[in-house]
This record gives sequence, structure tokens and C-alpha cells, in this order.
Amino acid sequence: MTANVSFHSVQQHFGNFVALENINLEIEAGEFLVLLGPSGCGKSTLLFILGGFLTPTNGQVLIAGSDMAGVPPKSRPTTTMFQDYALFPHMSLRDNVAFGLRMKGQNKKTRNLKADEMLDLVGLADKANHKPHELSGGQRQRIALARALAVDPEVLLLDEPLGALDMKLRRQMQEELKAIQRKVGTTFVHVTHDQEEAMAIADRIVVMNHGKIEDVGSPEDIYLKPNSLFSANFMGEMNIVPMTVKKGKVVLPFDSISAENIPENPQLCLRPENVGLTGEFELGPATLESSAFFGTYHRCHFRPLAIPEIELVAHLPLGEVPEVSAEVRLFGSNPVLLSA
Amino acid sequence: MRILSWFYLALIFGFIFLPVVVLVLFSFQDSRLPIPPFDGPTLKWYVNVIGDRDLMAALANSLIVSLISAAVALTLGFLAAQGLSRIHLPGSVAMRGLMIAPMTVSYLIIALGLLNVFNSIGIRPSLWTTGIGHVVINLPLCFAIIFAAMGDHQKNAERAARDLGASDMHVMFLVTAPMLMPALLAAYFLSVTFSWDEFIIAYLLTRFDVTLPVEIWSMLRSGLSPATNAIGSLVFLVSVALLFLLEFTVFRKQKT
Repeated sequence: MTANVSFHSVQQHFGNFVALENINLEIEAGEFLVLLGPSGCGKSTLLFILGGFLTPTNGQVLIAGSDMAGVPPKSRPTTTMFQDYALFPHMSLRDNVAFGLRMKGQNKKTRNLKADEMLDLVGLADKANHKPHELSGGQRQRIALARALAVDPEVLLLDEPLGALDMKLRRQMQEELKAIQRKVGTTFVHVTHDQEEAMAIADRIVVMNHGKIEDVGSPEDIYLKPNSLFSANFMGEMNIVPMTVKKGKVVLPFDSISAENIPENPQLCLRPENVGLTGEFELGPATLESSAFFGTYHRCHFRPLAIPEIELVAHLPLGEVPEVSAEVRLFGSNPVLLSA
Repeated sequence: MRILSWFYLALIFGFIFLPVVVLVLFSFQDSRLPIPPFDGPTLKWYVNVIGDRDLMAALANSLIVSLISAAVALTLGFLAAQGLSRIHLPGSVAMRGLMIAPMTVSYLIIALGLLNVFNSIGIRPSLWTTGIGHVVINLPLCFAIIFAAMGDHQKNAERAARDLGASDMHVMFLVTAPMLMPALLAAYFLSVTFSWDEFIIAYLLTRFDVTLPVEIWSMLRSGLSPATNAIGSLVFLVSVALLFLLEFTVFRKQKT
């Protein structure tokens, strides 16, 4: 089962604190949407409003077109996978997964059948009679997923579910989450502060900051063509190159770029991997100040001779790194113009 | 050092258990006075005690009062803890303090207060009034034990249960209570033991049907006898049995 979700001018105030300013967002049925932002940006608040754990100060939430105002969590077509998994420690894994079905009044045979099917989906069918404390963190996480999916929710809410896992396991679980989402087709709304995780799993990313939506788009769009300086910086490192605008063109000391839709008070932003020894436009001569080996690339700090007050960070491919303090001509590509 | 610490341990256990050992030993005394020299063993005092209808009636009364009053105290304490931990009202800290406050008041004062109240509203002293008194003293204990055992992981599990469609009743019986089972059992068994042993409230709030400690008291007034030792040993046996039950059910479970 799957459904679309709409937020219409949703606001949330906690006393004087504005947690959500004015959120308008459409989530398509079957979409894997990630709410991304630093802690305190309002992403979890938005998720809790969708789950029915919080009542918004203002605005409307629709799931599959019907207004959710006054509908408690248990009556919503949503289930939540909580940050700490919140498994029932006194129940076997099968009973944990079957709990939602038991609440729906299904008999033991039917619900256990479904529970075993869900356990199989997350690869823990052989542990059905174990208790949660016998599992590792990653396994508990899978049980929480199976339990939330067992009731066939239309929308699954995931509140930083991978936060407690170590790096390697997290990457593995990201792939599994994505695969399971494709299989079941449920709308997933996933909250995280990890931009790599967001890019790895999302169909669409919503970048939030200070209770507002900064940017919405596919991972590629958000990374390569961010909408705001905040979103650009949050998704990864950015070089900001001083420049001027003349006759609709971006003018650099050694080159100029023709650009459309130049925003007000523009800044030229370049990702480190878009600065190099070749490219679409010239950044001018620069000296290499330091470089470090990062496995798949060298991270280099250059100081441009024309603008010595800034430093450019470049990720150069292996084998292309000049000597330290050598002078080279730097080029850039894929420039992004953002309003400061 | 090592010997000293063993000696200290032996001293402490001796201090705690010597009275009980003496009590149990002289319940097997053959002569009429439970004083040295020991001239037993004999079981005649136990036969005597078990054949005593008043004593056995008092024992049954004690059992009924302790089991029921502990169950009531447990239920009320659990509901109070559940409410005060879940809902934040202005003054919940003060309410919590007020719940635990009776623990600091001596049983004698509580008994006097209850006696006054029951007299003024025309309720005669009986096993019922004693039971109510035991609920009064055990409710703060149950509340404190259960409230302390409630934590965030339990609140999260309750929230997850509600999210999965559980009603408040389902949450309470299928999630909250089972997760708190060790604390609930500890609170219940402690309440049973306290009620079982309690004398002052039972003495002031009973008249014709009395509990065991009151019956023992009236036996003692006619002087020491190995029979009182025998009944004391029986009471001790029940307490020990409860303690073992607690140890094997509750604390064993907690470790895993």
C-alpha cells in the first residue's frame, strides 16, 4: 500500500520558538523522500506531525487526500520506525512483528504467517523465537522495520533509524532499506542529518534549516545545482570564488562565463572536484600549498596568485598532483551561482 | 586483613541472625520455658500451635489481609506512577512528593489517624480497616518502586505500540505491565511481607478477627513459651519462602 502526502502551510510553534515556519510540500505515492538538515532544523518535528504525535499550530496535513487533523497515530495509515527501535523486550521477534496485526484483531495463525513473511523480508526468519536483547544493533533495526511494515502502512516514517549503527553497517542498511522500499512500494519518509545517507537512499531530498525548506530535488540536483548557499554547503564542501558581473556575464580575473538567471548578490561556487588542471574556464595561476592523500583522490589546497586572500580546495585524481609550492594553471567546471 | 574481613562478615551475620537462630532453636525446647539450657528437640509445640484454632484463624486472616491489601496497593501505585510519569501537570513534582510522604510517617501515627477517621465516620475496626491501613502504608512503597523503574525506553515502546494501533488498555496490559514485571513483582512481594509482619495498625484497627502479629502479642502477654517461638518460626518461614520466590522469579529474570 502506498499514498501521497501533502503539507499545506504547516507551522509549529513551541512557546516563542518557531520550529516550522511555513511548510508546503508534496510527497508522491511510492516515493523515498529524505528530510535532511542539521539538528534543530525541524525535520523530526515535521515527521512527528505526519505521524500524529504532534498537532501543528497551523496548517493542514493530507494523506491520500484526506485531512489528518485530529486523527491519532493509531488511526493513521502511517507507522514509525523510531530512532531507538523501541522493540518490546518481553516479546519474541515474531510477536514483536505481529503486534500491529494483533491490534487489528487478526488471529494468531494469520498474523504469525505474515510476521514470518516480514521476518523473511529482512533476513531474520531463523530468529523468530529469539528475544530482542539477543540481537545486534543492525538486527534490531531490521526487526523494527519488519514490525512497522507488517501492518501494510501507506506511509512509513523513519526517524534517523541508522543513527546508532557504525559506518559500514550503516552503508549496508542503506542499501537494504532502499531495496526493501522498492519491493514493498510504500512511501518512505526518512529523517537524517547525514548528507551521504540522504544521497544514497533518496529519490528526492528536502533540505531544511531553521524550520524552513531550503531546497527540494533529486540527489543529483541538490548536489550539483543547489538552490541556496546553505543547501550547497550542507551537501558538501564548496569553494567560493570572488567575481563581478558585467553585462550578464560573470567576470573572473582570467576568464568570463556567460550565465543565465544571475541571482541578486551572486557568489560563484565550485565543488572541490570541479577545480582542477583542466576545465571549462580558467581560474588563473595558483601555487599548491599542501596536499593529502585520501585514497581515491588527493585533496589539495591552492592559493591563486591573483586573489591571494582566498584558498581553493581541489580534489585531484591520483597521479596528477604537482609538487608542493609549484605553480600551476587552475581551471573550473560546473559553476553554480548562488545568492549570498 | 583477609581474616579480619571474614571475621567482620561473620560478626555482621551473627548480629543479624542470632535472634532468629535462638528463636527457631528454642521452638524445639522440651520444657515449658524457651531459655537455656536446650533440652529438646521436640515438635510438640508445633503440634500445639497448629492445633490452636484461634492462632490458625489469625494466620488465615493475615494471609487474606496481606495478599489483598498488597494487590490493591500495587494496582493503585502502578496507576499513580503511570499517570505521573506520562502526564506533566503543574505541580506533578509536589504530587509525587505527596504520594511518597506517608513513608516518613510512623505507623503508630498513621494508625491513630485512621482510628480517628473510622471512629468519626462510624466504621467499626475489622480486618477491612486493617487492610485499608496496610494499603495506606504500602501504596507509597509500590509507587516509589514502580515510578523508579519507569524509563525512556519504556515510554518509547508505549509510543511505538500506540503507533501500531494499540488502545490505552492494550498498551497497559501488553507493553507497560510486562516491561515493568520485575518492579511490579518486587513491589507486590515487599508489600505482602510488610503487611504480613505489621503489628501496630493491625492492633489498633482490629477487634474480634485479628491478624497473626496481634494474636502472637496476646499470647506473649501470658508469658514466654516455646509455643510463641514455634509460631514465630512459622512466620519467619513464610517470610523466607516469599524472599526466595522473589529471588528466583524477579531478580533471576532481571539478570538475563
